Amino acid sequence: MKFGVLFLAVFALVSCRKDKVSFQATPYNLEIPSHFPKMDIPSDNPLTVEGVELGKLLFYEKKLSGDNTISCGSCHFPENSFSDNRQFSVGIDGIAGNRQSMALINMGYEDFFFWDGRAATLEKQILEPVPNPIEMHQSWKDAVKKLNLDMAYRNRFFRAFGEEGIDSTKVAKAIAQFIRTMVSGESKFDVMYKYENGLPLSQADLAIFQTIDVEEWAGYDLFKSLNGADCFHCHNGPLMQIKKFSNNGLDATFTDIGRGHVTGNQNDNGKFKVPTLRNIAVSGPYMHDGRFTTLDEVIEHYSSGIKMSPTIDPLIEFAGQGGVQLDAQEKYLLKKFLLTLTDYNFINNPKFKDPH
Amino acid sequence: MRTLYFLILAGFVLYSCDKKQPEPEPQDTFISLSVQPKFGAANLFLDSVYTTVEGYDFKILDFKFYMTDIKNNSNQLAEAVLYDFRENGKTALRTIGDPTKFTSLQGSIGVIESLNHDDPSAFPNESPLNISNAGPMHWGWNTGYIFIVIEGKADTLNDGNPVFDHSFSYHIGTDAYLGDFSFTNLIWVKNSTYEYELPLKFEFDKFFQNNGQNIDLKTENLTHTAAGQQTLTLKVLQNFKQALKLN
Repeated sequence: MKFGVLFLAVFALVSCRKDKVSFQATPYNLEIPSHFPKMDIPSDNPLTVEGVELGKLLFYEKKLSGDNTISCGSCHFPENSFSDNRQFSVGIDGIAGNRQSMALINMGYEDFFFWDGRAATLEKQILEPVPNPIEMHQSWKDAVKKLNLDMAYRNRFFRAFGEEGIDSTKVAKAIAQFIRTMVSGESKFDVMYKYENGLPLSQADLAIFQTIDVEEWAGYDLFKSLNGADCFHCHNGPLMQIKKFSNNGLDATFTDIGRGHVTGNQNDNGKFKVPTLRNIAVSGPYMHDGRFTTLDEVIEHYSSGIKMSPTIDPLIEFAGQGGVQLDAQEKYLLKKFLLTLTDYNFINNPKFKDPH
Repeated sequence: MRTLYFLILAGFVLYSCDKKQPEPEPQDTFISLSVQPKFGAANLFLDSVYTTVEGYDFKILDFKFYMTDIKNNSNQLAEAVLYDFRENGKTALRTIGDPTKFTSLQGSIGVIESLNHDDPSAFPNESPLNISNAGPMHWGWNTGYIFIVIEGKADTLNDGNPVFDHSFSYHIGTDAYLGDFSFTNLIWVKNSTYEYELPLKFEFDKFFQNNGQNIDLKTENLTHTAAGQQTLTLKVLQNFKQALKLN
């Protein structure tokens, strides 16, 4: 008889167990330009409406820094294509870094992150600046603690991930979701690219097409010409970049060995990630150390400023003569083309701006 | 009441004992194509220094090429393969397949015309022809893909200075320079119960010296398959075909 009572009691307890509350986030419909490849999104971090919204808040959240003064958005400004217009960004302790903030556009297509490619995923990249002593200088433990004090954040994390709790992984995932929505593919160049390759042009594209002048087309030809500016070896396709590390002849000896520091291979010394040229007109200063402040300086570098070194990229074919030796008219045309790479819809898109 | 307890207990025990042994899942057989770069009898390593018969020191920095429409008659092994020695080592392809169906293999070195001018963004993400994977191997719609990339540095000055004085870049592409290959009487090497490999090799010494068709690193160091570069382009392609062999 006692056994029967016990059995019933256990049965009743099990039956009365409160179901765990859960929430199913809403899938996010990411719009990809027609001439772009499909984006590979990690299966453990699908885009959701709630996740992207949360990621945007966190991107601009200053609580992630030790003294609540800076956020990701403090060094990645929309008007600069989410780069920093300073040569080096400055952290909460007033210490400047030694590399220029990279533009955050079309990051969902990248295979490695940072100038030296030391992070293999966007999520891993996002985990670095918070505890970095010269950047946001705060332990993740403290950052998460601050977020946990905010009920609105607790609710948002719950809705984004379907479970209670906040941790650094979820913060990184949410910010990564937001950054993956930052797709830029509506510049004048995109219309040129589509037209050149026989892809259909929308009404809006056709309107832009009418504004492309002969100098811009000539600049594009020069950009692609092997005997001209010869840029397209490293900057091609709809994303305007290739996935590699390159020594582009900035120095004969290196003060920053870049990729070599990550791999330990001296053949990688002086190599840095090849960045996209999209929005290049607004994302200066240029190069990994922001040494060039204007496009003219960049063009001059490739024209006559190339320095030989053991690891110089063989694709810089005229390195032996200091560069591709453009004349004044060619430099002008090349710059005209580079200006077509600005996507004003992207840099002015309210979806990406500070919601606080 | 005792009967009820007994029934519950018996039901529980019976349910617990109803655990089925998982059936072993059928194991897929994988077959792979590998290409081992060689210089003479030794394996060639990127960034290492070798010497041509002319006495020029050189090192290979990048070695990539496409193979497409790889098949044995009507059995297709792969639509496209991108070999990238720096990124992936010697493995060109690893896929599920039956080695007995591929006793010979034919295909193209480069990208066949029917694929060469398609939208590179439209290929599936896992395709080596997708622009994300092709990267610098895609020139543009009209020209299509770069079929072969061999890049390196050479020291061709007899000045006692070990500095590599110039680069060389062989970029072969366009439909007119599509190459082909054919290997017969294939012997697939069984690496493990479910892994078979067809080992190929690429002999860089033969690439630079091909029976009177030598490539002189000092004077023949650049082709982008452009107008005026046809002679070297053709030589690179022909030497490439000679250098790619069964290992």
